[in-house]
Amino acid sequence: MIDCDVHNDWSSSNVLLPYIDTTFRDYLLRGELPGARGSFPHAHRPWLHPEDFRRHDIKPTNDDEHYSFMRENLLDRYKPDVAILTGEEALEVSTLANPHYASALASAYNNWVIDMWLPRDDRFWASIIIAPQDPQGAAAEIRRLGSHPRVVQVLASHGSYRPYGDKFYDPIWQACSEVGLPFAVHLGGQGGINYQPIGGGPTTYYWETHALLLQPSMTHVASVISNGIFERYPNMMFVVIECGVTWLPSILWRLDANWKALRKETPWVKRLPSEYAREHIRMSTQPLEEAANKQHLWDVLAAMDGENMLMFASDYPHWDFDAPDDMQLPREWLPKIMDGNARQVYKKLPRQLVPNGTKAGGMS
Amino acid sequence: MSAITDKRKHYAVCKVADLPPGQRIIADLDGRSVGVFNVDGEYHALHNRCPHAAGTLCMGPVTGTTLPTEHGIRKFIYGSEGHILRCAWHGWEFEIETGKCLIDSKVRAKTFKVSVENDQVVVHI
Repeated sequence: MIDCDVHNDWSSSNVLLPYIDTTFRDYLLRGELPGARGSFPHAHRPWLHPEDFRRHDIKPTNDDEHYSFMRENLLDRYKPDVAILTGEEALEVSTLANPHYASALASAYNNWVIDMWLPRDDRFWASIIIAPQDPQGAAAEIRRLGSHPRVVQVLASHGSYRPYGDKFYDPIWQACSEVGLPFAVHLGGQGGINYQPIGGGPTTYYWETHALLLQPSMTHVASVISNGIFERYPNMMFVVIECGVTWLPSILWRLDANWKALRKETPWVKRLPSEYAREHIRMSTQPLEEAANKQHLWDVLAAMDGENMLMFASDYPHWDFDAPDDMQLPREWLPKIMDGNARQVYKKLPRQLVPNGTKAGGMS
Repeated sequence: MSAITDKRKHYAVCKVADLPPGQRIIADLDGRSVGVFNVDGEYHALHNRCPHAAGTLCMGPVTGTTLPTEHGIRKFIYGSEGHILRCAWHGWEFEIETGKCLIDSKVRAKTFKVSVENDQVVVHI
């Protein structure tokens, strides 16, 4: 079983001090922060969870406990073979106006996760985080670490300065293609220089907003397909993490219909948008939509070839955590969703020796 | 109910003095995790397993909450302080005394009888 979204948090951003470029070490040490000393430099989103976005039964007080709590409550309890680390606040570097500082912080995080997290547990594999508002710096970072044997993807927040298919980001796609890593977006970066992630204006409440935060992902899916990313980089995979799932079929239906009439606008797009999506886009399950009638959910998932496009994620240790032994998915899909699909995307993962995806259980 | 007619097992979980008002303990009773709460001097026990998604219900905060308002009126009336348990995982709210979930009274956390015997807080399972 593979868990595609596991958050390795810190007790203080001071853990980055030994890992950050000396110029920016002073910024982190003495510069302005959005909270007390030890908080992480980012332009925070305007919506604050009224009860904290972390699970209430997991409150580590130091960095060793961040790992030991994870081991107890996730790794040893559900026994994933692979936990793909996605960081926590570091994703928010995308919100900073200063691209140099943002890239320095991203590099420091990447150094830290490789040095402090990967050696702790042989189930850990890392994402490297980039500052997408600094495409050249991000590309350099991808080339610096992309060949590390335990680095399996390049990660940025889904909140963004521009849609990710925009040519502004060409250096990032080029670098991902060179090192053979997927480019992934994860819910986050909903503030600062990034465009408001909610169409129509800022919503009011956290739960209301959280249900709508998938909106930028729709933009990114349309953008990467229409800008021909997958024609230019036939080996590229685009992974959408923690942005919901069931919106995808309707967007693809609309994209397909529009492309048929207006193909001339983007002659580099040679196939139906939905065909590119099937081959090149994968989505993490969590938070899987909770339909009153399970069959309705499954029908929508079938329409997007969910058995082949979905990858299990728990989002440990957040408030909308999905437990791997309670996935509301058709039992026959579980071997691929819980394990096989991620091994296709993350090619550095070892081949599965004994099919064990079904051991995760699930309801059918 | 006397111990003779009560077929449930009795578990002494702590001394009365160890569970003052506003406090809780979580006990493992033959493999079943149970939270015992002292709410204003009365004891209540709940299965530490949320009926929503099997989360660690009893490890969540004991708190109050906003009471329902009528006719879509946007105001906040805070109440039930100390009587509400929020599940530690996904935050669903439950009445400690009854185990009823605030969003759907048909969803109930399992409750157990609690008594005081010989200065001990005793859970009946």
